[in-house]
Amino acid sequence: MPGAKRRSSLIRSPQFSSLVILIVLLVAFAVADANFLSPLNISNMMAFLPELGIIALGMTLLLTAGEFDLSVGAVFGLAPVVVMLLVQSGQVDIGVALLAGLLLCVAIGAINGLIVTKIGISSFLVTLSMLLVVRGAALYITQGFPLKSWDQPGFFVTLLAGSFNIGTFRFYTSLWWFITLSLLAIYVLHYAKLGNWISAIGSNRNAAVARGVPADAVKIWLFILTSVLAGLAGMISAFRISATSPVAGTGYELEVIAMVVVGGTALTGGRGTILGTIVGALMLRSIRNGIVLIGVPGLAYNIFVGVIILAMLILHALLQKNAARS
Amino acid sequence: MEVLRLQNLQKSFGSVRALKSASFTLNEGEVVALLGDNGAGKSTLIKAISGVFPVDRGEIYVRGQKVSIRSTRDAMDLGIETIHQDTSLAPDLSIARNLFLGREPVNLKWLGVFAPLDLAKLRDAAAALLKRVGISKKLDADALVSTLSGGERQSIAISRAMQFAAKVIILDEPTNNLGVEETHGVLRFVKEVRAAGHSVLLITHNIHHVFQVADRIIVMRRGEIVAEQTVADTDLLTVESIITGADMSALLKETRAK
Repeated sequence: MPGAKRRSSLIRSPQFSSLVILIVLLVAFAVADANFLSPLNISNMMAFLPELGIIALGMTLLLTAGEFDLSVGAVFGLAPVVVMLLVQSGQVDIGVALLAGLLLCVAIGAINGLIVTKIGISSFLVTLSMLLVVRGAALYITQGFPLKSWDQPGFFVTLLAGSFNIGTFRFYTSLWWFITLSLLAIYVLHYAKLGNWISAIGSNRNAAVARGVPADAVKIWLFILTSVLAGLAGMISAFRISATSPVAGTGYELEVIAMVVVGGTALTGGRGTILGTIVGALMLRSIRNGIVLIGVPGLAYNIFVGVIILAMLILHALLQKNAARS
Repeated sequence: MEVLRLQNLQKSFGSVRALKSASFTLNEGEVVALLGDNGAGKSTLIKAISGVFPVDRGEIYVRGQKVSIRSTRDAMDLGIETIHQDTSLAPDLSIARNLFLGREPVNLKWLGVFAPLDLAKLRDAAAALLKRVGISKKLDADALVSTLSGGERQSIAISRAMQFAAKVIILDEPTNNLGVEETHGVLRFVKEVRAAGHSVLLITHNIHHVFQVADRIIVMRRGEIVAEQTVADTDLLTVESIITGADMSALLKETRAK
């Protein structure tokens, strides 16, 4: 029975177990606090979700290819800072400044990728150093002070941080960015030739290279993509809250990696799932939101987040073992 | 008919002359075993043929045509497929995706690397291939390679090489880490490959396997080819003594005399 077989493999897949846990969590929070599913709270969650979610999409592809990027949080901070400094001190047009900010992200990603692939240093060390360089640069050029962000209405504000209402829900355009980019990522990873290459590189790089797959080029482009998405997310965030800070995005790298692995993507490469990452992003967002609502003291809440992530990973590991045995 | 001819191939790494001079010919439908101790230059030689790095000097001819092999892609395009010990397949991909890795059938070809895989064609071609090589009964084209045994993986890798009508299939230690049963399976498969008209260059440590499947034996020592014999004209002991450089048969005679 191929149908039944397919169904059982779907149930055993990591993204499915993540989805079940997400639903359990949502129900639990909704029961514990009626406000959890209120339009205001959902709108709040949806305002914040895309910013980390967009980075997580790039990170999923990168992890699937067997590498990761710890500099995304710092890039999230630096990109909008550079944009606003160009506009405010350099009198540069906002559109040109945004483009310059994204090009800076391209450069950061390219440097990460080139050092990792051509010199052969692990991406952990390269991007950890890059985190310090980028965060340090953001602090230095702003002298540590936050900047006022662009708040004049116009094309770019609407494009990046416009908002609209559906009934009593208020959504930002960033949600469209997240949905569109998610669909593109699903297509690329699971249906395009490139996705086959990405998975193969993460699964067994030598095998991929022996088949003529340009592994280094693919990795470099994925580092660039991840960096650009981090910068884009930083700009969206800065426009939404009309402020940009050199310390924005601190710790985001770990939160994003947590979203990706909780969704079922393997930290060791080869196995990636965009649907899992979307579930993971929703899960971490609702955990952070929910445990505050149900009255966990603010200072204690990282304990809960950590415990829930660990529980998820243990569950994935157990499922994996079970699948291997059968 | 000659398929592959190497003439005076040389390769140095710094001051180490890994390949001093290598010349030999591989004919159509022939299994040639390449033997030698560790460091004899076997892997340098096959890496040169499969395009991992260029040679310093010497010529490679494929079907009489002089060729230059600068990348693994070049080698593949010339019909030279190399199957390395454990590094030929991606365990997290399905059998079908592995069979066509790097040569995926796609729709909308103009989209380049973003072109969508032709999943139906991929699955059908994979199933047809598995059937042709006689391993379809057990294996599902959608199964992940990580669920297969070592012998099954070797069979998949070899059938992939056959699929692309490779003229020359280079097998680098194909029976390493395999059980007795699986080893026999792979050796049987090598014979089938020859029967289908492909030429095989078999690199191995195990001389017993050589005598089961090879037509000819080439022995390398310290970067040079030191012997070339047809299997019918030699025996295990002679080959062993050539590999190690010690004259084992003389040694044996001596012991017997005592």
